[in-house]
Amino acid sequence: MLLETIKKDFIQYKDQAEPGNFLALREAAFAEFEKLGFPTTKHEEWKYTNLKSITDKTFQSTCEIKSLVNELFNASIESKLTANFLVFVNGSLVNELSKIIEKDNSIVISSLANARKKHQDIFNQHFGKYAMVEGQAMNALNTALLSDGAFVFVPKGKTVVHPVVIFNISDASDLNVLAQPRNLIVVEEQSTLTIVETYYATGTNASLTNVVTETYAGKQAHVEHYKIQQQAGACYQNNFTQFFQEADTNINHVTLTLDGTLVRNNLHFYMNGENCNSLLYGLYVTDNNDLVDNHTRVDHAKPNCFSDEKYKGILKGHSTAVFNGKIMVHLDAQKTNAYQRNQNILLSDDATVNTKPQLEIFADDVKCTHGATVGELDEESMFYLRSRGIPEDVARKLLLTAYAVDIAEKIKIPELVELLEQKIDGKL
Amino acid sequence: MLEIKELKAEIEGKKILNGINLVVKPGEVHAVMGPNGAGKSTLSAVLAGRADYAVTGGEVSFNGKDLLDMTPEDRAREGVFLAFQYPVEIPGVSTTNFLKTAINEKRKYLGLEPMEATAFLKFMREKMELMEMDKALTSRSLNEGFSGGEKKRNEVFQMAMLEPKLTIMDETDSGLDIDALRLVSAGVNKLKDGERSFVVITHYQRLLDYIVPDFVHVLYKGRIVKSGDASLAKELEAKGYDWIKAEVEQDANA
Repeated sequence: MLLETIKKDFIQYKDQAEPGNFLALREAAFAEFEKLGFPTTKHEEWKYTNLKSITDKTFQSTCEIKSLVNELFNASIESKLTANFLVFVNGSLVNELSKIIEKDNSIVISSLANARKKHQDIFNQHFGKYAMVEGQAMNALNTALLSDGAFVFVPKGKTVVHPVVIFNISDASDLNVLAQPRNLIVVEEQSTLTIVETYYATGTNASLTNVVTETYAGKQAHVEHYKIQQQAGACYQNNFTQFFQEADTNINHVTLTLDGTLVRNNLHFYMNGENCNSLLYGLYVTDNNDLVDNHTRVDHAKPNCFSDEKYKGILKGHSTAVFNGKIMVHLDAQKTNAYQRNQNILLSDDATVNTKPQLEIFADDVKCTHGATVGELDEESMFYLRSRGIPEDVARKLLLTAYAVDIAEKIKIPELVELLEQKIDGKL
Repeated sequence: MLEIKELKAEIEGKKILNGINLVVKPGEVHAVMGPNGAGKSTLSAVLAGRADYAVTGGEVSFNGKDLLDMTPEDRAREGVFLAFQYPVEIPGVSTTNFLKTAINEKRKYLGLEPMEATAFLKFMREKMELMEMDKALTSRSLNEGFSGGEKKRNEVFQMAMLEPKLTIMDETDSGLDIDALRLVSAGVNKLKDGERSFVVITHYQRLLDYIVPDFVHVLYKGRIVKSGDASLAKELEAKGYDWIKAEVEQDANA
């Protein structure tokens, strides 16, 4: 049982000497987790996503690192980028594969464990302030048991020239593995950063990744954040990403889920100042008995902010997709513009989509639209292509690729987009 | 080239075509006219292979092959081109990529090597010039955000690229202003080479001022009830369709 693994892990932390009063934080988080327990389908937010197949398993939190991991890294499309790399295997940093090419020493790109020692002020100021533990069992669990992850700090007025790739590998070659990475990203006023957060897996055993990422964007900051999930095999992931935006910030986020047995993404934006832009784009391509669940929440807490959300799915086999898009327009948030769309193409009669827009609007002068579609490929388009001599299978692929690439192209690294397009093409 | 014998078709159990007979020889231009609901669009849909129509009788041969037995893509690769009344917008697929795929699929079908990228671009440039196509249109997604006129011109441009033996134009004139009509017609006329045949389906005579037909057929209640030369179209323009309807009813009662 997963719970036993967790309890055993937690006891270990009790005896460790950690900087600051971290044990108290862990204990409070663990108490919250114990109070809540694992989410079940009785929770409204987890209605379609059953974690039982995960919680029934036994996992190990540590595992030695195999050379296989080097091959996997080198074969990946992300490793081809000119970028800063932080590579983690089962949640532990791999120094040999990590590489920082950014020249400016005031920019910190390191492991979270390192930051807890060397950048305590920044850590204490931001850690756990945005991704709440209260009522969030999986966040509480991550906080109680966190060991490492990525830490990026961009001081005021700086541009990080190269993307920061947070490269996660689950190595389940020997046994079932559990990793709980924790990332903290602080982008101060007028600074710019691009993050590529990516997930791979190897081995035939099961892996569970329960990751939390907190991103703070200071006034006029610009953050590009891309999440690419392609964990093939018996891989489970719960991903919680929280953005906290001060005034005049721009955040462009793209989630591509191309593989994974069960993936639950929680993507939250909180706009804490005026004139924020939040862009949320997602693509999921599912097959077999996979389940991909995207829960998003955009909090328009201040006036004059803009959010645009578009999630697209292509479902094959017996797979299931869940989309739940919550937009909260707070009482103060006049002149809010919020748009949301969720489109799904079912390529199999056995695939299922559960889609739900959830708009809660407390201000009276706002523009909000939402729309959800579930269907097959457009017959008119298919006939048009076929009537020009393009065979059915080629026409279908042309249309699906066009549909998917629309989202991939929201990523502003052309060489990555090109490689991803090939990858997506191969999946269709 | 095209031989239609006693063609009958229906949609959702409703009989639309009740025995069409038509022979089109190489190089000929045939106009098929008729009032609304006569079956004009059904005829083009059945010839192109649209799945929602059921053929209930008759046969169609195209250069000796059974056209009705072929998939839409095979009909196209054998040399049939349908210019759509409402061309579809396809976001994310560029006109260039689309045409390259279509041409190379046709070549594959005919046992030819694919056209190389540079040869293709040169070929496309030539046809763009011939059709007076704006370069910007080919780099955009297929028909996306195109005006009605641009869409129809794009149809004729595609025709020029795919070099069909037989083109069926389904109410290409609908929704076109006079300038667009002239451009589209000029494009079609440039493609006439004495071998290529055209079936021009239209409600109005005005398109036929620009694309002059060798034969004009009037379709009514799913049958060709009258055939003649270009002067028949003029007569229809002057007198409307009512006299034809009356003639048909009289024959039926006699």
